[in-house]
Amino acid sequence: MGLRDRLLQHAPPIGSSQSYDDYVASGGYQGLKKALGMEPDAVTQMVLEAGVRGRGGAGFPAGRKWSFVPKGTGKPVYLACNADESEPGCFKDRQIMERVPHLLIEGCVAACHAIGAQIAYIYVRGEYPQSIAALEAALVEAREKGTVGSDVMGSGWACDVWVHKGAGAYICGEETGLLSSLEGGRGYPRIKPPFPAVEGLWRSPTIINNVETLANVPLIVRDGVEAFKSVGNDDTTGTRLVGISGHVENPCDVEIDPATTTIRDLIETHAGGVWKGRKLKAVIPGGSSVPVMPADAIDVPFTYGAVRDAGSLAGAAGVIVMDETTCMVDALLNLMQFYHHESCGQCTPCREGTGWLEKLVTRIWKGEGRPSDIDLLDSVADTIGGAQNGKTICFLADSAVMPTKSFLKHFRGDFVAAVENGGSPVWKAQEARRAKVSA
Amino acid sequence: MADELVKLTIDGREVEVPRGTKVIEAVRDMGSDVPHYCWHPGLTVAGNCRICMVEVDMGRGRQTVISCNLDCSPGMQVFTQSDPAKQARQDVMELLLINHPLDCPICDQAGECKLQEYSFEFGADGSRFEFPKVHKPKHVDFSEHVKFDAERCILCTRCVRFCDEIAGEDELSIVNRGDRNEIAVARGGEMTNAYQLNTVDICPVGALTSTDFRFKSRVWFLKQTRSVCGSCSRGCNTTVGTRWNKVLRMVPAENDDVNQWWMCDAGRLAFKHTAADERLGAPMVRKDGKLVEASWDEALSAAVEGLEAAGDGLFALVSARLTNEELFLARGILDKVGTQHVDFKPRTWPKDDLLRTGDGNPNAAGARFFGIAPGDGAHGLEALAESGLKAAFLCGEDLDERPDDLAALEAMDFVLCTGFHETETMRRCASVVLPGVTEFEKDGSFTNIDGRMQRIQPSLSAPGSARPDWKLLGQLLARLGGGEAPRSADQVLKSMGATHPELEGLSLGRLGPLGKSLPQGESPVTEGENTVTAGENTVTEGENTVTEGASA
Ligand SMILES: Cc1cc2nc3c(=O)[nH]c(=O)nc-3n(C[C@H](O)[C@H](O)[C@H](O)COP(=O)(O)O)c2cc1C
Ligand code: SF4
Ligand code: SF4
Ligand code: SF4
Repeated sequence: MGLRDRLLQHAPPIGSSQSYDDYVASGGYQGLKKALGMEPDAVTQMVLEAGVRGRGGAGFPAGRKWSFVPKGTGKPVYLACNADESEPGCFKDRQIMERVPHLLIEGCVAACHAIGAQIAYIYVRGEYPQSIAALEAALVEAREKGTVGSDVMGSGWACDVWVHKGAGAYICGEETGLLSSLEGGRGYPRIKPPFPAVEGLWRSPTIINNVETLANVPLIVRDGVEAFKSVGNDDTTGTRLVGISGHVENPCDVEIDPATTTIRDLIETHAGGVWKGRKLKAVIPGGSSVPVMPADAIDVPFTYGAVRDAGSLAGAAGVIVMDETTCMVDALLNLMQFYHHESCGQCTPCREGTGWLEKLVTRIWKGEGRPSDIDLLDSVADTIGGAQNGKTICFLADSAVMPTKSFLKHFRGDFVAAVENGGSPVWKAQEARRAKVSA
Repeated sequence: MADELVKLTIDGREVEVPRGTKVIEAVRDMGSDVPHYCWHPGLTVAGNCRICMVEVDMGRGRQTVISCNLDCSPGMQVFTQSDPAKQARQDVMELLLINHPLDCPICDQAGECKLQEYSFEFGADGSRFEFPKVHKPKHVDFSEHVKFDAERCILCTRCVRFCDEIAGEDELSIVNRGDRNEIAVARGGEMTNAYQLNTVDICPVGALTSTDFRFKSRVWFLKQTRSVCGSCSRGCNTTVGTRWNKVLRMVPAENDDVNQWWMCDAGRLAFKHTAADERLGAPMVRKDGKLVEASWDEALSAAVEGLEAAGDGLFALVSARLTNEELFLARGILDKVGTQHVDFKPRTWPKDDLLRTGDGNPNAAGARFFGIAPGDGAHGLEALAESGLKAAFLCGEDLDERPDDLAALEAMDFVLCTGFHETETMRRCASVVLPGVTEFEKDGSFTNIDGRMQRIQPSLSAPGSARPDWKLLGQLLARLGGGEAPRSADQVLKSMGATHPELEGLSLGRLGPLGKSLPQGESPVTEGENTVTAGENTVTEGENTVTEGASA
């Protein structure tokens, strides 16, 4: 089965946004129409059978998440669409928001119908003004045409969709940090239990899904479970939107069949190969939080299972490519600066540990490291990591730990060299430039 | 559903707890403790410090998890002392200390600091961290009462939650991100809530300190005495910290039925009147229009003479700040003298939904119980000026702020005053002054707004020859023919049963550290069957000093 370019099949080129009329002409809002004629549970059942997994990174089956919403609590139910897209290396959700905004709106309204919500909030990364503008323009159209509002498509059922602009914190992409922020508080992730499906936004049942996850819903409902599953495999159903960036000739977003597209294909076929004719050194396949892969590990299909078996995670599908000239100490320092900067600071291990990691990597990078620092770095990573072991409230700490441990595992040589040879080549080049300027 | 019990195993011991109990609470109920910083029994669960780690097995293998947010469930096995649990706690300790200034030598919290305690118990013996620490602001004034040191703060958010959840003023918050996080007063203002010093108590480290107590003394030199606040009728339980015969601080003592873990700032700081300089140290009698020092014998004789001469023409104002034992004796004196013109002075205090009752008399309930009120057709305080009465007994009370009444007193033939400091009333009107003591210098009991009798205990010795009011009143009563003078407040309480069956069998010791509720109509308590259930701090008769942990 070849790739059917589904989510972006009718999308206009980058820079323009599909109008309501064009969207409808290409089959838009038929999924919602059909969903409105179905029992809500039947819609959830379809999504469950379609096996679509969360595209925000964790890969949790969307239908299962929806089934956790308790019935008859007397409280309102909310849908929160996670459009924060703040993971370094990820820029796929904006393709949907900017080019086919009605697809996301349709997905939100259909999902609301399924889970019993009448309000959806789309929490958009503040640094995405184009996404916000496109969604807001599409919402004006949708309200006018009645696909959003007090009488959705003549069904008599009301559903509203609001765009909420984030204020520039990575942690507000974590689902419960997002809820805190949406409520007007600090973007602090929340301890679980309670899980948001039971007690989320304003202590009411809330489903949080990624943009791409929700954008798949209209297609599943309209075309049926089998059509959806005709792409991908049992582990990863449907297409995946992937952003490829870093040292490639042609950084891009592509929609692929994950079962038949390998990481090598992504780089060589879709992104024009490693730039400047250089060789590949490393790939971070799922956004900056996942383990790094050495060049020889990338001949695996881009399914959740295959990438996991190869030692990393498909995560949020932000493929970061590093060529042979990359100093991995320098690359890790960049990541550690990010996680230290973005830790919300709630939990002791993450608050204190992310700073410690950055300081250690900096020391090695600047040529002040000792041989024992390399093991120390690994051990500090162990000290702070493991939300699954109860160490932290959310997975941000793990997001710093996974790169650290995998960089050391696969590229220990770069760290040893930095310790032995007076620092990272990047640091040394900067020093040389500084010396020249002051000379 | 609240009554439903679940059975689980904690460290090999089977326990049964009500459904909804958190594991950390269940461990506490067993008399043991899981280390914790952010968890506080009176606040919502924040789960941020991550030190209360235990291992649990719910049938799917062991897992480390924080115990403050974990509901006890049937069949659960909890291991508080397993290696992974201990390792996790040690890891958190190491991380908490990497940016901590470790200025214990000059930190007020030293000696009751959870960082010190847990480091001592299970911290590692060194740190792997060798970088400059993150620097943050120190000695920031959050208000006139509370000072903040951001470097010592471990960001547990207890203070933030207290202000929001208990004091009802969401005035503290966290600003910045990550290891740059700091507590700040919202909108850059000052803390204003009336309970803000509780944040100092619950701060597990020395980040929040009391401006009043700062650098006054190392806490381990304080003598700690359990008592009750005398500023309003709530009767918040307190631990009074004294040194050099001075009160240096007062902090709330936990009592679930009265004040939980809290007390108001005004009550907490209301110990300044104990200062020796304005205190009465000797009896005085008026000679040639001037008050001069006299011996106790001379003063008591003059007092008795005046009281007997006044008879039913005596106006008595008995303070509702006196203890039950003293009120009982005062009542006895007034009965002997035979007057019906009896009253107490109302005293106002702020009122709110948390603790403050609006009634500034700590023992108004006791005063009512012992009939400190005008008899039929008799004159009360409001009628004093027009009463035409010629003698007065101001028992632990003054009328300084009531000029009309002062003028009426001035015109009288005989005025007896007791009290612990010299008042305008004494200077202008007293014929005889008998020096009593403050509530920090005597034994006894107060009955609070809910009818709970609670014990006060002395933490200071009184200046000069001043005597506890129960003693001087007992001596007055004896000289009026009321039998032998009591030797202790406890003896007075024990004797009350004869005339007040509700109090039968009670003693100060039997009130226990948490007091005893005496609802109307409760059957008399009889010797032997009345076991007082005590918390950790059992006060036994005759013993007046208890030490206790500083905070929950
Ligand atoms: C630190 C952190 C940042 C995250 N940022 C995002 C994000 O920007 N966008 C997103 O969709 N999910 C993000 N996630 C994942 C969400 O927590 C959540 O799993 C997801 O929104 C659920 O939607 P899905 O099931 O449809 O993937 C983040 C998670 C963490 C721990
Ligand atoms: S793990 Fe880090 S980012 Fe997540 S809640 Fe804890 S401190 Fe905040
Ligand atoms: S000031 Fe004290 S109570 Fe408040 S967050 Fe810091 S350590 Fe906790
Ligand atoms: S509320 Fe009343 S009893 Fe409690 S501390 Fe304040 S004044 Fe004292």
